[in-house]
Amino acid sequence: MLLQASKITKRFGHRTVLNDLNINVQPGEVVSILGPNGSGKTTLIKILSTLIKPGSGNLLIAGANALENPLHVRPSLGVVVHEPLTYLELTPHENLRFLGKLYTIDSLERRIAILLDEVGLTQYAHERLEIFSRGMIQRFMIARALIHNPTLIFFDEPFSGLDAPAKQFVLERIHHERAQGKGIVLTTHDTALAYRAGSRYLFLLNARLNAIANRNEIEVNELSRRYEQSLKLHEMK
Amino acid sequence: MKTFHQLGWLIRKDVALFIRTKDTLVLIFIFSVLVVLIFSLAFGPIFPQEVEDRGKLAASVLWAAFAFAGIILLNRTFDVERTSGGLHGVRLTGVDPGNLYLSKVVSSLILLAVLGTVITLVALQFLDALDVLTLRTLVKLIGVLILGTLGFCAVGVTISGISTGTHGKESLLSVILLPLIFPIIMAGAKCTVSLLTAGGLEGGFWIWMLIIYGLVFLASSYLLFEFVIEE
Repeated sequence: MLLQASKITKRFGHRTVLNDLNINVQPGEVVSILGPNGSGKTTLIKILSTLIKPGSGNLLIAGANALENPLHVRPSLGVVVHEPLTYLELTPHENLRFLGKLYTIDSLERRIAILLDEVGLTQYAHERLEIFSRGMIQRFMIARALIHNPTLIFFDEPFSGLDAPAKQFVLERIHHERAQGKGIVLTTHDTALAYRAGSRYLFLLNARLNAIANRNEIEVNELSRRYEQSLKLHEMK
Repeated sequence: MKTFHQLGWLIRKDVALFIRTKDTLVLIFIFSVLVVLIFSLAFGPIFPQEVEDRGKLAASVLWAAFAFAGIILLNRTFDVERTSGGLHGVRLTGVDPGNLYLSKVVSSLILLAVLGTVITLVALQFLDALDVLTLRTLVKLIGVLILGTLGFCAVGVTISGISTGTHGKESLLSVILLPLIFPIIMAGAKCTVSLLTAGGLEGGFWIWMLIIYGLVFLASSYLLFEFVIEE
């Protein structure tokens, strides 16, 4: 098991954002978490990626206790969130080289060249990130998340603000990583994209995570219908 | 070995970011020179004949300029980390938070030491205090300024890390930082006065205070920095 999170609870002040959540991720699995804005998806991703601590609960990453020893598990994680998690004043090559040096990656220059080529940014390798479009930044963020070849990857709303070709690129990349046996957790509010990317689906509503189905058990229309239904119930509450 | 390797790259990145953005360094330089100019205009063009009076004046101007320059730099230190989430990116590499703290202290020290050297020479020239300096005294003065800057950065990086994620971070930084750096400024100013008036560090109380205060903050912040950068 790549990820085992149990009884995760997080409160901000009096507001309970996540309540008693459980989630597991196996190698070669893409877990799609669907939830509306403000449902706690980003908080969940930040907790699972050890960037923030939960109020209570347990988090095991590849069998290691990630809450007690986050420094040990972090190098096995790749994270794509809203923020670029990098320095916009530097170029893609400089950013990747800097992170690669921190990860102490062998044959770093070769790895950077391959990744930049895969995400289609080779010709922009030495341009500052601050002049990049949203789509280009997203491509770079994927390269940044994969520079150290992580075994568990988190994507938080990876499709938001992207045009159709860019969305297709992200989808293909997710499938590519999954095919290599990596575990992936993906959050989105787009059911069609969640369906195409995922192998298992969960809804995050009212601070709770509900397991819905595996890919082979449900069609996209049924997933959309159930999600809409859950959203209405959530709004009524 | 890995720790030194990571430290080196973290420091290199910080210095590169400051040099590349330039605006902060230019602002600090202009602001510091302005402080020196205002004092030299107010007290000049004919400065006190007594070496002691000139030394006290030069020391007060220097430390006023350093304090303001340091606050501007520290305000920017974590801004650049939070704006696009660079700090989280670095944390995800598994770097020890203590090393992250040390890198911030060293990179701030490098930038402030370079600026400080230029400002010191400008200030001593403008305040007509260069003639009281021998090479030996100048070396001691630079040593005191580096120790003072190290203590300033040791305290300032921690407080900057705490305040940067809050509302009203700039005013909060100044409000929390000033009482904490007061012992450093006081000790640094006393040592500078002693050097510029007597050519040596009389007694040694203030220099020891400068060293011990800086080391205490450096050690405690190194151990506690994980809690500072945690959201």
